Amino acid sequence: MQAKELKDGALERALNLFLGSEGNLVLGFEKGDDGVRHRIFKGGLDRFSLFNPFFDVNGALYLRRLFSKNARIMLMLRPCEIRAYTELAKLSQIEREGITAVSVDCFGAVSSRDGIADLPTDAEGLRTYFAEPERMRAPCRACRERRGVVGDGGIRIDRNGVLRAFAYTEKGETFLSLLEGEAEESLPEMLLSEGPRPEPFQTDMEAFAKDFSPCVMCKNCRDQCPVCYCVDCLFNGDEYLPKGDALLNKILRTGSAAMPQGKEMFHLIRMFHVSQTCVGCGSCEEACPHQIPLTKYFKGVSERLQAKFSYMSGRDFEETIPYLTFLEDELKDAED
Amino acid sequence: MKTGIFICHCGHNIKHTVDVGRVREYFSAFPHVALCRDYPFVCSEPGQDMIRESIEKQGLDRVVIASCTPSLHDDLFKDLLRKSRLNPFLLRRVGIREHCSWVGDDLERNTEKAIRLIRAGLYSAAHYVPLEEKQVEVTKSALVLGGGVSGLSAALFLSKMGLQVYLVEKEATLGGHVRSLRDIWPMKRDGEALIEEMEGELRARGTVEIFTSTTLSAFEGSFGNYRATLATPSGGRGVVAGGVIVAIGFTPFDARVKGELNYGRDERIMTTIDFERGAERLSLPDKPRVAILHCVGSRDEQVGRPYCSRICCINALRVGEAVKERYKDSYVECFYMDVRAHPRGGEEFFEETQEKGVLFTRGNIAEIVPGAKGLLLRGEDTLLGEVFEREFDLAVLSIGMGPATDARSLSSLLKITLDKDSFFLEAHVKLRPYDTAVKGIFIAGTCAGPKDTEEAISHGRASAVKLFGFLSPGYAMVDPFIAVVDGKRCSGCRMCERACVAKAIRYDEAKRIAQVEEAACMGCGLCNSTCPSSSIVLRGYVDRAIDDEIGALVEAI
Amino acid sequence: MDEKGAHSLEIIGFACSYCTFKASEMAGSLRMKYPDEVKLIQVPCSSRVDPAFVVKSIFEGADAVFVAGCHPGDCHFIKGNYFTRRKIAALKEMFDTFSMKDKLRLFWVSAAEARRFVEKVTNFCDEIKEAKNAGKRA
Repeated sequence: MQAKELKDGALERALNLFLGSEGNLVLGFEKGDDGVRHRIFKGGLDRFSLFNPFFDVNGALYLRRLFSKNARIMLMLRPCEIRAYTELAKLSQIEREGITAVSVDCFGAVSSRDGIADLPTDAEGLRTYFAEPERMRAPCRACRERRGVVGDGGIRIDRNGVLRAFAYTEKGETFLSLLEGEAEESLPEMLLSEGPRPEPFQTDMEAFAKDFSPCVMCKNCRDQCPVCYCVDCLFNGDEYLPKGDALLNKILRTGSAAMPQGKEMFHLIRMFHVSQTCVGCGSCEEACPHQIPLTKYFKGVSERLQAKFSYMSGRDFEETIPYLTFLEDELKDAED
Repeated sequence: MKTGIFICHCGHNIKHTVDVGRVREYFSAFPHVALCRDYPFVCSEPGQDMIRESIEKQGLDRVVIASCTPSLHDDLFKDLLRKSRLNPFLLRRVGIREHCSWVGDDLERNTEKAIRLIRAGLYSAAHYVPLEEKQVEVTKSALVLGGGVSGLSAALFLSKMGLQVYLVEKEATLGGHVRSLRDIWPMKRDGEALIEEMEGELRARGTVEIFTSTTLSAFEGSFGNYRATLATPSGGRGVVAGGVIVAIGFTPFDARVKGELNYGRDERIMTTIDFERGAERLSLPDKPRVAILHCVGSRDEQVGRPYCSRICCINALRVGEAVKERYKDSYVECFYMDVRAHPRGGEEFFEETQEKGVLFTRGNIAEIVPGAKGLLLRGEDTLLGEVFEREFDLAVLSIGMGPATDARSLSSLLKITLDKDSFFLEAHVKLRPYDTAVKGIFIAGTCAGPKDTEEAISHGRASAVKLFGFLSPGYAMVDPFIAVVDGKRCSGCRMCERACVAKAIRYDEAKRIAQVEEAACMGCGLCNSTCPSSSIVLRGYVDRAIDDEIGALVEAI
Repeated sequence: MDEKGAHSLEIIGFACSYCTFKASEMAGSLRMKYPDEVKLIQVPCSSRVDPAFVVKSIFEGADAVFVAGCHPGDCHFIKGNYFTRRKIAALKEMFDTFSMKDKLRLFWVSAAEARRFVEKVTNFCDEIKEAKNAGKRA
């Protein structure tokens, strides 16, 4: 693993060098008047922001179904976004070949809904601002991996506030070569460390039903989830929330007086489907019109289910998704 | 959609704990059910005719048959649909016998259960579509497991019919137990001679491979193309067989289990097998007193052998006759519960033996106590109602037959069932006594239940005839329950490809979707449950069909 | 959840054709009795069982669900049940998160094990009945 100290403006110079080649793009953040948002840079950087303390969408969402082998894109995103990208690449939903994924240390974010426009965008400012955990959104508070250690490379801060670029793969080394200076021999301690493992999430059907009672099955959560990649989702049809003739048939058969509500099934089944790929970014919660605490459930369940197989979504491109493999001798206590 | 529901009474097997009339009433009012009938035996000729008529008259496009378990009579009912010009996969079988009437006692509750099960079948069948069966070539070869008399008999027949035969025997020599029999009743042949004759004939045939000191170590495939791995003394060997005959024989009852008889503790107490092998070397006094005990290790709940071993009464009579032949002044007494001399000529043999002076006392021997002057046998004469004690010079125990030691492991390897006594279970006691529930695997000889040498030879041949019948057309129809991809819905995530055990899925780079290699697909459905959008489905077991079954089982009646 | 009749407790079991279903057939032909609340859905392999089926069963009104297949290493489809084991273990973890782990069980029953099948399902049914009654009393 190689690293280079980033002098003032060194990163921007390197990215501009990269963007100088025809067809090269950078997916990162731009600083606007009302906050920071995603931007794809072409030709050159303009109002580039390394950090984005506002969360509205998981950037990996923009890359889904990108199959062109001609793409030469550098990603400068938050760890949860790079992790989602890694999972999607494992599932052949993004062509990896031309993409270099760089994860940047993250101090947390506020919800785009909060209406806060004015936040620092430099490392020291953000560190100070988010020193009070209550200021960041719930999913960020629960996040275990804010370090830029995933993907092909990372941008990390040490205890003195010095930025460094890291290479984790060959592509990362290529990225590093765009930067001035020499690779360092020894490295100081980094500022951010791995977050503590949360208490295993525990709830019951009553609490679940209560929290989800405002749900109207708009499916925003599913639509915004970066790893919910199905081209035609199971819940698109009339199976779980029948309408029209399908509804009539079901009522005639079951004699039920209440309108069939598929929402609990929808959420529970989707929860299982994304259990091994959920990165806990909270895009779902961000998109919910009723602000249902989706992350609490989805991240809570996926932490438990990933822990069962010692798996962490998006940590390593080579790590096989747990449901696609097995050991002959395991899970003895699963049997009754 | 017009569905016909046919409810079988199975004589009184279903009728006695399921109110078939009420079930019929319930479904008669259902939408899309064109007719609902109940009948004593739907598998009988008139029963089948009734179904066929109903299909044709009513123009049915779905058939639900509620009867015995689905794996029974599968071909029979499928053929019935074919004859009625309906695709055989528009049939849904519902098991209301093995899964309802036979496992519950309460009429009302069983009736409700039957209604739910049939409803599940009805809703599920609504999703069935006509499917084309695949035709695959079968390998004209057979694997015969067991080189005893029934295995040899099967192997001979199959070889004569032109099949390549692989005969596998775990011991170093062929012949099993019959080899050590001296005088087989009633054919009056020497066991060794019989075996040598059969073995000689077999070895002379060019298309037979005989493996001794060999066992089966792995087994996979399906009818027509089973792949077996044999563990031979010179290493592993793979063979491909169209079908299998299981003829692994029996284990004689170990008389030491009945400690009170003191077998193994005194050489004057022996089994019929010991007698068979060592009769000439017996040294008995001039007027010996010989006791013969029937039913040792048979019809005995205490040792877990409640069944009759069929051969032991004749064996007892043979011992009695043999003793009388050698020692004219001997006192021979048989202790029996019943004398079951069942084969042809058996009753006459029983009478002859009595005429020769063998005595028969109805009673069980509770204990054999070896003493200096003789063996003391204590028992109860059940006809006289008296307890007795008598002294003998020799006691011969007519022991029963038990299942083969490898029965359990073989049943696991081949996926065939054992009955409660661990003998192999036939598919149907009357209609298919040689088949197992697995197509292409047959059972023969004593591993399927106690029988004598002649019966074992016939059984071997009968199973061979059946197997030959299956293989002779040269092809087999394979169920079309394989996976298929809906290209419009597939996301190309390749999860199914990675999970697939048979490696039957490949990724189309150009279209970015998964594709199934039909010939390799085993039809397990793992891909279907792995795919989050169910874009790859297992024909015959699609999500909707199973979802509707779930609903049908739980909805209020 | 739908309304049901007064007595009806329903347990849905997914049984694989080659092992558990065969054992259940054998239990039937041996006239072994087990609670009629237990209803089987036949699948070719336990690996066909989609966790969505289990969730759906509970929401359609089943009191409990079990998934049963061949012993690991003995699967007719060679390795299907290893995948079943992983998915159902994960689903059980999820059920546990929602405090309903008692509603889902996983059994391995081979074709010859009629008695084991009867014991497992009877035991499961009895415990569900017990829990339901305790819930009513509380």
